[in-house]
Amino acid sequence: MRSELLDEAVTVRAEFQGGVVTPVAFRRRGHEHRVTRVNARWIDRVPRHPHFYFSVTDESGGVYQLQLQSGDLLWWLDAVMVED
Amino acid sequence: MRSFPAAAPNEAHDATRSSRADSKAPASVATGAAVGNEAKREEPSGGASAGAGTAGMPNASGLARPGERFAGPVASVAPAAPAKSATSAAVSSRAPAAERVILHVDIDAFFAAIEQRLDPRLAGKPVIVGAGVIASCSYEARRFGLRAGMALSEAKRRCPAAVILEGHAQIYRCFAEEIFGRCRAFSPAIETYLDEAYCDLSGTTRLHGDPVDQAARLKREILEATGLTVTCGLGPNRMLSKLAGKTVKPNGLARVFAAEAEEFLTSRPIEQLAGVGHAHAKTLRSMNLRTIGELRALSAEALEALFGAPGRLLHGRCRGHDTAPVHEREVPVSISRETSFHRDTADRLEIEGMLEYLASRACRAARELELTARTVSVRLGYSDGQGAERARTLSAASDVDPAVIEAARGLLAALFTRRVALHRVGLTLSNFHAAGAAQGLLFEEREAGRRNALYRTFDRVRGAYGHGVLVSGQALHLRGRLEEDRHGFRLRTPSLTK
Repeated sequence: MRSELLDEAVTVRAEFQGGVVTPVAFRRRGHEHRVTRVNARWIDRVPRHPHFYFSVTDESGGVYQLQLQSGDLLWWLDAVMVED
Repeated sequence: MRSFPAAAPNEAHDATRSSRADSKAPASVATGAAVGNEAKREEPSGGASAGAGTAGMPNASGLARPGERFAGPVASVAPAAPAKSATSAAVSSRAPAAERVILHVDIDAFFAAIEQRLDPRLAGKPVIVGAGVIASCSYEARRFGLRAGMALSEAKRRCPAAVILEGHAQIYRCFAEEIFGRCRAFSPAIETYLDEAYCDLSGTTRLHGDPVDQAARLKREILEATGLTVTCGLGPNRMLSKLAGKTVKPNGLARVFAAEAEEFLTSRPIEQLAGVGHAHAKTLRSMNLRTIGELRALSAEALEALFGAPGRLLHGRCRGHDTAPVHEREVPVSISRETSFHRDTADRLEIEGMLEYLASRACRAARELELTARTVSVRLGYSDGQGAERARTLSAASDVDPAVIEAARGLLAALFTRRVALHRVGLTLSNFHAAGAAQGLLFEEREAGRRNALYRTFDRVRGAYGHGVLVSGQALHLRGRLEEDRHGFRLRTPSLTK
């Protein structure tokens, strides 16, 4: 198991509710990945504007790491976890 | 000593009954209770449910017998409103009003637990985080005898099925900050380390409630926020709180009172006493002193003769005395950045590039804390296992890259003398002063000000776009050799601020 860096800007559909943001789906290479589970979420508060991170599982079982940069509200697909 | 697996309101009453009955039992007796939803299915006897695990199964009265493991691992802590349980009242009545209360919070299998959270496919599997040696391993891996510090080659031999990961230091830091932030809500003074914290709860009862309830609440909040479990130990001092937690790992909660300290410590192995490392333990074992209780046979003078000034501390500690305060270390002792190379190397460009990169990371961390360092040290680890380290004191404390890099290069030149490839390199800044506290140079003040402003601008750019967006000097040689993300180069074994 290892994480493979992607570092791609992606379009994400997300819910902002009760002060909490939750990614629902993201689009990569023309294909929409529906998020079936948010495995973990964490916040990096070192940058001036916090970065919100999510480990998510999509409907095909793939595990991805998404990032929302709160400064410019850009979403990034940071990495995909791949099995060796 | 008492163990209190974080109690939901329903179970608190059962735990109370146990605790009351327990008050007549020997001091080392602990209560067993269920956790979370398990509480609703708890046996009327108030005994442990399946959630407490068979290892901590109490006897018919719901009490663990002396010598039994106090509490078994519990699977989860269900969210529940804090209750003013009678357990707390019973516990509080035993504690003198002015007794110090220190809470030790230890994150269970920290790095490995996060990796299992990040990728659910790792849940239930033996997971190792580390490069060269184990930095952290899951409890599934520990069943094979694996532990932190063990060589990976040995770990693979013992557990071929283990999943080995190099880790994500940036992510671990975020989780640790989240957990320690929650600890701060309960305690006015906390002292944090990489995966553990001491919180001084003395005098907080009127504000936050009983310490046991506070700890249970903290455990629940941490679990809800991060999905991670922590083990909490409560005691009248740091040493006892940590040891109390050690008896109920993972995901446990235990308390030791000052009056129980001596008995609690008596049969524990000598190595568990704070201040007794490998060397001291070897000396003491050679004298046939194997338990903390047996150490009490030695006078303070004898211990001082054996171990110097720290010997006197051991004399008090083996009796449960520890006066070390819990203090917020706003100023770290040191800021270290260290890494192993992906492949052992003797390439000077690569080594100098890595050292320069590590120096820039350490300087940035110092600037964020508004500190300037007076001492720079460089550590080398050769591929044959030998190491070398040397420090240099700067003429003036600094937080800007060129001053530190120049010192680091000089140290590297003096240290890297063997014709052996390097396995790792590290740099440490220490001897800190508050930035701006030093006397400025009369004729160079303008230049120094411009340089400081430049590096603070770099920091802002890196804060917005990632550290890797600006790479300077020799560190450019790492481009193409190492993977990069917005945090900068992906180091093999990064280290954190101490």
